[in-house]
Amino acid sequence: MPKWNDIQEQSFLESDARARAVGLVDEGTFTELAGPFDRFYSPHLETLGEAVEFDDGIVTGVGKIGKTPVFVISQEGRFIGGSVGEVGGAKMVNTIRLAVEFYDKLVAEHSDLTDEEKPVVVISFETGGVRLHESNAGLLAHAEVMDQLQKARHKVPVITLIGSKVGCFGGMGFVAAATDAIIMSEYGRLGLTGPEVIEQEMGKEEFDSSDRALVFRTTGGRHKYIMGDCNVLVHGKVADFREALGKLAGLPVSEFEKMRRIGSPELVEKQLKLVALAAEMQPKDARDVWAKAGNADAATLDSKPFDEFVASVKRLEV
Amino acid sequence: MALNTLEFHVKIDEGTKSIDKPVHLGVVGSGDMEVLMEPKDLKGAVSIKLVTPVAGFDELWKRVVETFVSETLLGDVHLEINDNNATPAVVLLRLRQAFAEATGE
Amino acid sequence: MENVETMMGRGRDAIDMIVDTDSFKEGTVGAKTFDDPEFGPGAVVGTAKLDGQDVTLIVSDAQAFNEKFPVVYAGIIGMEEGYKMAQAVYASLAADADKPKEQKRTLVLIVDTPGNGPGKVEEIFGMNKATGAYQLALAEARLAGHPIVSMVIGRAISGAFLCHGLQGSNILSLDSSFGTMIHVMPLTSISRIIKKDLETLQELSKGNPVFAAGPQFFYALGGVEEQIDKVEGMRPAIIEHVKQIRAAVAAGEDDKLGPWGRGTLGAERNGRVVRPKVINLMNQEFAAVAEKYAPSR
Repeated sequence: MPKWNDIQEQSFLESDARARAVGLVDEGTFTELAGPFDRFYSPHLETLGEAVEFDDGIVTGVGKIGKTPVFVISQEGRFIGGSVGEVGGAKMVNTIRLAVEFYDKLVAEHSDLTDEEKPVVVISFETGGVRLHESNAGLLAHAEVMDQLQKARHKVPVITLIGSKVGCFGGMGFVAAATDAIIMSEYGRLGLTGPEVIEQEMGKEEFDSSDRALVFRTTGGRHKYIMGDCNVLVHGKVADFREALGKLAGLPVSEFEKMRRIGSPELVEKQLKLVALAAEMQPKDARDVWAKAGNADAATLDSKPFDEFVASVKRLEV
Repeated sequence: MALNTLEFHVKIDEGTKSIDKPVHLGVVGSGDMEVLMEPKDLKGAVSIKLVTPVAGFDELWKRVVETFVSETLLGDVHLEINDNNATPAVVLLRLRQAFAEATGE
Repeated sequence: MENVETMMGRGRDAIDMIVDTDSFKEGTVGAKTFDDPEFGPGAVVGTAKLDGQDVTLIVSDAQAFNEKFPVVYAGIIGMEEGYKMAQAVYASLAADADKPKEQKRTLVLIVDTPGNGPGKVEEIFGMNKATGAYQLALAEARLAGHPIVSMVIGRAISGAFLCHGLQGSNILSLDSSFGTMIHVMPLTSISRIIKKDLETLQELSKGNPVFAAGPQFFYALGGVEEQIDKVEGMRPAIIEHVKQIRAAVAAGEDDKLGPWGRGTLGAERNGRVVRPKVINLMNQEFAAVAEKYAPSR
């Protein structure tokens, strides 16, 4: 494990799950739960003769940012694409559950508990969703995570970070959408259906999954920022994510409600306006939507220098 | 089909040294591995438990670990490795990195 | 034995088999009406009586085709469908907002869906939000006391089952003799992708329900509460499960319901046995350090 100071300067994209987990919270505060020394690897991979990992590809634990207890979930894309199975899924589910229980306990014990003393959950996604080697258990774990996200509502804010190689797809794509706030780098990708599957469904002329720029225009950080799906777009270092996270941790939970995309009847109505726009426009390319949002330079928006992009881009309003 | 588990000991004659603290290092990506390195009273020996999907390289594994132990003069240490087709060069690299971290070097 | 009568593609027929005779009013849930027939046609929503009580029905309609979003057909849940289903849930919550927890109306989900909308427009605008919105609404309704019974009659595939079904309080499924499909992928596809031969996987699935396709495997994992062996069995089973759910809610045992409750069930049925061990260990480990993370006073 690199030193904490060195992790800060690392590229988030290149950092492994444990470095991200440790580096996102204050130096020396991270305690891993069900870590590699507990040796909870997947029994199902073992049955299939597939390589196992002592943490099952997910780092879970708790740290602090200032006075705020931060429950951390960090997925490892290099281990079977960050896929979710029985063990890793249980770790994810229970981390959120522990945060909610801790919140209940602190509120009961301290009548003067301040917002910044209340726990938050942060999830650093790097996954395509269900692990096919144990697909049924992985699927059921997804449902459990969604249930816990709703149980955390109005108590414990859940903050998503996306800036790792695999992106955040499949069932985890809607798990991320269901969290309170989403921080991405421009290298992060968020969606439901991966590019290869879209190509398979629609044909190569409609969607060429090998066209990297097209893939990023459709699901990448810049696009999701324009669409309002990503709340904060950051540069690519671990320190950049940590800084953005630090600004959110400690805010009253009511502030997080304002950052949400979904989770209330009002937000559903708002999203339906976007869906109506989608039906009306039938965009061939995300750039059509960028232009609709009022960006005269839609054609070159994805190649603009990052700071210039953030300073000048117009985000879609409906 | 099932994973292969390989367990063996390595002991060298020269004076051996253990490590200060347990260490975990590595990610089980394709062509890579992870290792747990823990101090353990083994009368100067190093014990290894290795889990890998690849069969038939027992002797190679022993040679690689022997190389590592003789260059570090390691003893009274237990190693657990999850492997996913790491080459001997990668194995040596990860073991050396773990050793450096475990000894604070 | 194969049942002659498959319910695949027959979501609307299933409504009549389940609810009180001629009681289904399509397009009305509480104060909310769904007037536009072209809006989210893949999702049928409405109100009916079940054993004399008001229930909200949310049903995938495999016969419908969404003209505006051509990837939506054969029961696929598109963006409009996902949000329409969410609206039906929120309308149910609103209708019973003043009622005590024990008297919230039941939601019955009739499940026959092969997937979420997989298109380019869907990705540009965020299909993930539509399916997520519906799941959050269902979880909110369940936690508010609404019994939610999911009835799988045909296909409950991967993300679409997560969307429409897996947030239910209890889940029932017609058994495999009806050709009912519950899976992430068929074993043939899994075999190809994870590069293990099909025969080996089939052999392994006899002892381990974790990757094979079919309601019996989800039953073993605690992912389905009960399997139903005849279509006439759906109605009485749903009525019975509503009673059980109400009893659990009244007793404050919400944790026995929904995905978390099914986790416990998965351990009881010896399907997911590592999950509780991981959870227990984490609880112990956190309890040992919790003080460090509490505010100092």
